Amino acid sequence: MAPSSISQNDEQHRRLLEDCFRLEAGASAVIPGDDADLIETGVLDSMAWVSFLRAIETASGVADLGVHLNGQAASFAVLLAVLRDSISAAGSAERSEVTRHFATALAPAVVAASAAAVGARVIVAEEVDRAFGMPVGKLRGRAGIASLAYAAEGENELVLGARAAEEALRAGSCGVQQIDWIVATSETHHNYPPLSAQLHSRLLARENCAALDVGGACLGLLNALAVAQSLIGSGQAKNILVVTADVHSRTLTPGRVAGEFGGLFGDGASAFLLCSANGNDASGGYLLGEFIFGCAGQYAAAIQVSDSMDGSLNVQFDGEALSRAAITRMEKVLAAVELRSGIPRASVGSFATHQPNPRLVALLAKQCGVPKSAFPPVARVSGNLGSSTCGAALHESLRNAAKHAPGDRRPIFLASLGPGLLFGGGWLTPRV
Amino acid sequence: MTRLLITEITRMGPAFCVIGLQHEKESIQSIRPVPASANSWLHFPHRRGDILECALAPFPAAKPHIEDRTATRGFQKATSVAEGETVSYLRKAEMANSLPDLFGCAVHENKKGAGLHVMPLEAKRSICGCETQNLRLELYANELRATLALPSGEVLRDLPVVDRDWRDFVDAALSSARGANRTARLERFFNSRFHYKIMSCPHHFIRLGLTRPFQDFCWLMLDTLFPLPKPEWLEEF
Repeated sequence: MAPSSISQNDEQHRRLLEDCFRLEAGASAVIPGDDADLIETGVLDSMAWVSFLRAIETASGVADLGVHLNGQAASFAVLLAVLRDSISAAGSAERSEVTRHFATALAPAVVAASAAAVGARVIVAEEVDRAFGMPVGKLRGRAGIASLAYAAEGENELVLGARAAEEALRAGSCGVQQIDWIVATSETHHNYPPLSAQLHSRLLARENCAALDVGGACLGLLNALAVAQSLIGSGQAKNILVVTADVHSRTLTPGRVAGEFGGLFGDGASAFLLCSANGNDASGGYLLGEFIFGCAGQYAAAIQVSDSMDGSLNVQFDGEALSRAAITRMEKVLAAVELRSGIPRASVGSFATHQPNPRLVALLAKQCGVPKSAFPPVARVSGNLGSSTCGAALHESLRNAAKHAPGDRRPIFLASLGPGLLFGGGWLTPRV
Repeated sequence: MTRLLITEITRMGPAFCVIGLQHEKESIQSIRPVPASANSWLHFPHRRGDILECALAPFPAAKPHIEDRTATRGFQKATSVAEGETVSYLRKAEMANSLPDLFGCAVHENKKGAGLHVMPLEAKRSICGCETQNLRLELYANELRATLALPSGEVLRDLPVVDRDWRDFVDAALSSARGANRTARLERFFNSRFHYKIMSCPHHFIRLGLTRPFQDFCWLMLDTLFPLPKPEWLEEF
């Protein structure tokens, strides 16, 4: 690696350390000298030290930082050296640097087109209250849901997913024969053939176009995008169709689950055409940045759904704990995305996040200090669409961005959650 | 005089915090004897499993450390019980299977980085025992940390390990007299034999505690891990 690259990386690492340090010690904290031992000098206690390191791990993508620090001083100088070594590990700094920025350096993936579809039956929240035997006005008053989109007769995951996929292909002027992979995700489709295979047949994709289903429930879209990005980055594919489709209204029905849970969900789908930017000089679209993923197991008990022997559904749903977890974790993910991308949240055009319900979206916006209007109102009009919530929000964000001149388009942040508590985040930047 | 079965001896900076079990009527409850002028003991020559006689006076302890009692006289050792028996008594004291039941309140994650905390006025107690589905110790940037899964499946990460015996064990493992690559050897032990020794032990048990309120929060700690480490384990790595 050229010396200038080393110094540029050091600068990035220093900025990252300082940001994480201020997160831990307070915005007005004085940055200590490089050689000061943060614990011995009492700048941080042992709890804060570990917390500081975990924040650096998330922001830098360097895993298990603490292992490299055993037996060493707790100083900025040591941390900078460890970060530098982590990037240039395996003997070859340049090769490692390429590996770290695999997707972006080798073959960046561009979101070239998108679409979304929702169930054709629009039901006002009060009707859903009645169906679930809840006090009328509860969904609107407590969750902020105005209406829900339910699949009409003849609509299912395949129909909605295919509709979104065809629209995305049309918007991207891409023939289905150009698609190398279909990556599908759904939290409600549990049939065989799997959704990706059904989409493959319905769309009449090439026989050697691969089809893959990924899981993650509401996090499914981010998982699917990350998989697609890797396939493009490694040169395995040039064009990939990522599809989400969720039909909750046939599973989470009155009498089977409580309205406080089942009443939140609607039906929808989304689709994204991802292309390799290599050999494609056309401008437009959004470049996929990096992704952050993890699992916060302390919230595992907040939501659990399983089948029982008699065919009924066991739902363990601690709404209050889940709401708290969702807000805390999404705020944390967005903060990590901000740190890792170097894009200040104030300059983000849109936040395409999961939306458990509109009330939580408003709370998240407040906690993050960003306008509520930066979150496309998906859950308010259609309900929680599972993996398609984030998809519909991302499609809406891209659609809004397309109304601006290319030079005026702003970055988009992604954040989502799934039971477990799985979490993920990422970002997109306009391709100019 | 009160008879206390000593179950916790934890390191708090240069001092020690001690908790014991008291049999009162039908129940067994945790009691934290503290000196008259501090929250911890600078010198505590006893071991877990010791049954000590002492004079304790209740005082209005700040929530959630409702187990605090002032020790008005020194401790007299009456007898001692084996580790397995100590754990059998702990299983009859404060117990929980899930995160919200540990301290009778919501447990929050640190929004900035790592660690879990409760709000001092919400917590109903400051110590609780539990079984674990799995447990891992690691030396992370010179700090001993635990990650564990509760019976509910909830995972607790980055808990500071304050158990005196385990901390002493780690100090001994890292002692310069033990030759080269001490940290790597200890990590290897934690990643291999440790797991078998702990999880296969019939009296494997942990107790989680809360720190005193610090900047509005009480942080979760791993106070006690049974079985306690044995000196001969040091010969194995």
